[in-house]
Amino acid sequence: MSMSQEEIEALMNGADSEPEEVTEVSDTPEQSESSSEDSLIEDNIDDILAGIDGMTDDEPEVSAEANIDDILAGIDGITDEEPEEASEDNIDDILAGIEGITDDDPIDGTGDNFDDILAGIEGIEDDSPSSDEEEESAISTADKYPMPIEAEHKVVNQLNEVAEDSEEKASQIFDVLSFILDENGEIENYNKEIKNFIEKQIELLESLTTKFPNVEIFKENFELADNLLTVSQNLSEKVNGENNKVFEAMELMQYHDINRQKIERVMAVIRKLSSYLNGIFEDDSDKPEVQIAKHISGDGSDTVDADDIDALISEFSD
Amino acid sequence: MRILIVDDSTTMRRIIGNVVQQLGVAKDDFDEAEDGVVAWKLFQEKNNYDVVLTDWNMPNMNGLELVKTIRAKDKKIPIVMITTEGGKGEVITALKAGVNNYIVKPFSADVLKEKLDGLVKG
Repeated sequence: MSMSQEEIEALMNGADSEPEEVTEVSDTPEQSESSSEDSLIEDNIDDILAGIDGMTDDEPEVSAEANIDDILAGIDGITDEEPEEASEDNIDDILAGIEGITDDDPIDGTGDNFDDILAGIEGIEDDSPSSDEEEESAISTADKYPMPIEAEHKVVNQLNEVAEDSEEKASQIFDVLSFILDENGEIENYNKEIKNFIEKQIELLESLTTKFPNVEIFKENFELADNLLTVSQNLSEKVNGENNKVFEAMELMQYHDINRQKIERVMAVIRKLSSYLNGIFEDDSDKPEVQIAKHISGDGSDTVDADDIDALISEFSD
Repeated sequence: MRILIVDDSTTMRRIIGNVVQQLGVAKDDFDEAEDGVVAWKLFQEKNNYDVVLTDWNMPNMNGLELVKTIRAKDKKIPIVMITTEGGKGEVITALKAGVNNYIVKPFSADVLKEKLDGLVKG
């Protein structure tokens, strides 16, 4: 939990403010730096994970793998009761847990199965797109998930760009606010000059009115100058009020820095998850990569049957 | 009063700079650094600061490391940590490292003024 300023004050009053032994600092600065930084990041990630419903962190010493298991366990429909089962079985279990998905024809081709699954999920419609639409859709998919993944498509890179762009724009907003403050300062200076002049005029007109009480114009101008002094004072108050609002806006801009740090925290979580998932999927075996079949019976209409083969053989024999 | 403002966010450095200017500190009387490495370099070169205001989480050298590095050389200069780290553990860690005061972001200009006044008078 975050501490309030009052709590910090209380803590500071009670805490021993003597700095740590210098020798401790100078002995292993790098070590203490990195361990401190690591623990900070770990703590932040733990905080985020703790905020996700259904997750608990009673065993803080458990490795990152255990935390990921907790996350997966918290997601509806995903169970890990039989971790030794083949992955296909797990996928079947997951699909069975989704409403509307049935597995009546498991022997059908893979393509058909996917169609069935999609048809069973609410909200997904199959409008039988024309070949052009299919092509277009394939292109747009390629735009979203290009292969191979370039640096610009990586999520962490994108988040980093967002944070940097935001920083740049925040700085520009600050320029605008600073400009308003500077201009208000100029207005205030001009207003002071006007005020000085009006005060002198009032002094002069006051003495003239006293000396020549029958001259109406002196009296009228005296009243006018007095009113203008009030206008000048009001203007000064308005400018001060505006300055206070600008200072308030500048203070609120601290949330830009706070939000940037929140984005950086998300980036750290993604990096950890990426590292964890890479660990799961990487192949430690020494076996060379097996060449995979392109067309397997049941894939769809691309495969040949016995008649096709006979026809091809006879064609080549001619 | 010469002040060193250390924060990796340009916006935060400008906000803090603005507040210290409101306190009457001239623009030439405070320097800015974007991380602990630059700050430590400035600190050694100029060697005339009256107060250091530093963030915690920064690249290259973080605020805590900067505080420890400065404290190894100078035990008296007032250091204020201005950070988003609002946990009790972090406050204690910073105090143990040698900071004189601690402000959690977002803060109001009045809080910083109050703390700086306290440090200067104290």
